[in-house]
Amino acid sequence: MIDRFIEELRTNACVVHGPMEIAVARGVIVERARAAGARAACNGDVPLPALVQDLRHAGLDVCTADEGGWSTRLAGADTGITGARIAVADPAAIGLAAAPGSPRATSLVPHTHLCVLRVTDVVPTLADAFAQVVAHGLPSALTWISGPSRTGDLEMILTLGVHGPRTVEVVLLA
Amino acid sequence: MSGHRITTPGRDFQERSARAVADPQLQHALRNLDRRLRTAEEVAAAHPEWKERAAAIRRETLADLDGWLLRLERALADRGMHVHRAETADDARDIVLDIARAHGARTVVKGKSMATEEIDLGTALEAAGMRAIETDLGEYIVQLAGERPSHMITPAIHKTLPQIRDVLAHEAGHELPVDREALTAWARDRLRIEFLRADLGITGVNFAAADTGTLVLVTNEGNGRYCTTLPRVHIAVMPVEKVVPRLADVAVLLPLLTGHATGQRLSNYVTMLSGPRGAGEVDGPDELHVVFLDNRRRVLLGTKFEDMLACIRCGACLNVCPVYRHVSGHAYDAVYSGPMGKVLTPLLSGGAEGADLPFGSSLCRACNDACPVQIPLADMIVHLRAGTATARRARPAWQAWSRAWASPRSYRATTALARLGARFVPRRLLRGWTATRDLPMPARVPFRTRWDREHS
Repeated sequence: MIDRFIEELRTNACVVHGPMEIAVARGVIVERARAAGARAACNGDVPLPALVQDLRHAGLDVCTADEGGWSTRLAGADTGITGARIAVADPAAIGLAAAPGSPRATSLVPHTHLCVLRVTDVVPTLADAFAQVVAHGLPSALTWISGPSRTGDLEMILTLGVHGPRTVEVVLLA
Repeated sequence: MSGHRITTPGRDFQERSARAVADPQLQHALRNLDRRLRTAEEVAAAHPEWKERAAAIRRETLADLDGWLLRLERALADRGMHVHRAETADDARDIVLDIARAHGARTVVKGKSMATEEIDLGTALEAAGMRAIETDLGEYIVQLAGERPSHMITPAIHKTLPQIRDVLAHEAGHELPVDREALTAWARDRLRIEFLRADLGITGVNFAAADTGTLVLVTNEGNGRYCTTLPRVHIAVMPVEKVVPRLADVAVLLPLLTGHATGQRLSNYVTMLSGPRGAGEVDGPDELHVVFLDNRRRVLLGTKFEDMLACIRCGACLNVCPVYRHVSGHAYDAVYSGPMGKVLTPLLSGGAEGADLPFGSSLCRACNDACPVQIPLADMIVHLRAGTATARRARPAWQAWSRAWASPRSYRATTALARLGARFVPRRLLRGWTATRDLPMPARVPFRTRWDREHS
């Protein structure tokens, strides 16, 4: 199931890392964020302790939703780093829940979106996923993402990165 | 369905079609439809049983539409959303304008929505002194060109890349290359400014689940996410038939919609909204309004056109239609085009508009086969023809024909007359029929005579 999830995300033009141990993932995220630019925005739902400190320690300018000037700093961020509430294997999608500390726009405004996800959060089908999010309580906004922003409006040829991120990278935690 | 921005001139469907077919740039652009056809067919073929399930869900909804709407209304209200009911397009426009004025809205960003096209909301907002900006790339191009969408999924399908470049370069006020990446990047930067300053976001709704009070929006670019995230107020215009009983039903309908619309197993973004911004959240609208739009839909319940309300607006019937594929959306001179438009346009206008559209069909039934929720579009097109003045005028002739061929004696007499007539009646008297069709000649010696000769 995880293999098919990863394969379909890659077909959808996502970059997928892992599954990997938490200690390794911390390094990968810092490295990927730095590759995308000096400024990052980080949601509170990322399942990695001390990630913000890691990023700042590596010299990145990091903003979080509980600090002042969030929306202005987000608009200038190169990377948005988020967790995910859940993910579906078939069809492949990651489900992001809006919450205090985890704004909707972090996965929308920056050109690069890094999503950190536990493999245990991947369920087989949409029906499984919907049943689970309803059981846990629906957030104000639940956004399913299956790849980088795209359009077919120009002669029906796929073009990536219209309004949302041009690059989506998923880091899987074993 | 007023305020038309006509882009293909002509007094009727036939004349507009002829002009469309004679337009080489349009014909070149329409060839791009083939790209979608193949992928959509593959996705649809992978899960044939889904059509049955989806059709059953849509019929379950229509069997008690008012009941499901009431349940949805309560569920949305329980989650802090404001529900408004609009009987007519005028009512819907007034409701939206009242909300916009109450918040002093100046810049409105719109997601792609056929419902807002149907009520011509953009024109109403502009007339009220607000800037209403379409933010879907194709819709933005069409708005800048002063046109209307020619395809419900791909609004600018009628334009080639150089034509799109011209439209965007005119707006930019400087040169732009004929390059997808560059044009997309320019539109992205330009529209981002609008997203950041907008005070009102308006979208449609793809599905609304009555059990959980959840609005489901299907998008690819991310503009719909902006419209529902940054502005202080979000208004969702929802045609009444968008309600589904359960969120679980969306798990069936969603892949079917995206597979038939674009060939994707799932659209790039699916947004599920179950309330305005929650306590402690830093983005999302303070207010979320949902406008239930009837506009002559509920009167179709219990009629032979009820199934039309099962439509999920995937565009599959347009993509397979031999007529649409040659004339494109503007020839229909209506918000909805293709086979579903031929049915919906006369119905939603109470017969006032598009009465000639049902006649612009070869009745090949490709639309029936393509429809993911099994709407018998071709049969409805035939029913609509029967209700028109043209059909009423022709009825005595058909009745006479039916009587004449009901007995062997009068059958022989009339076919004998036809053999004579075929030789002596001047062709020009039949021009109305033969302009677009061949007139088959009766055999010189009828089959019955030959049979008798050979078997006696």
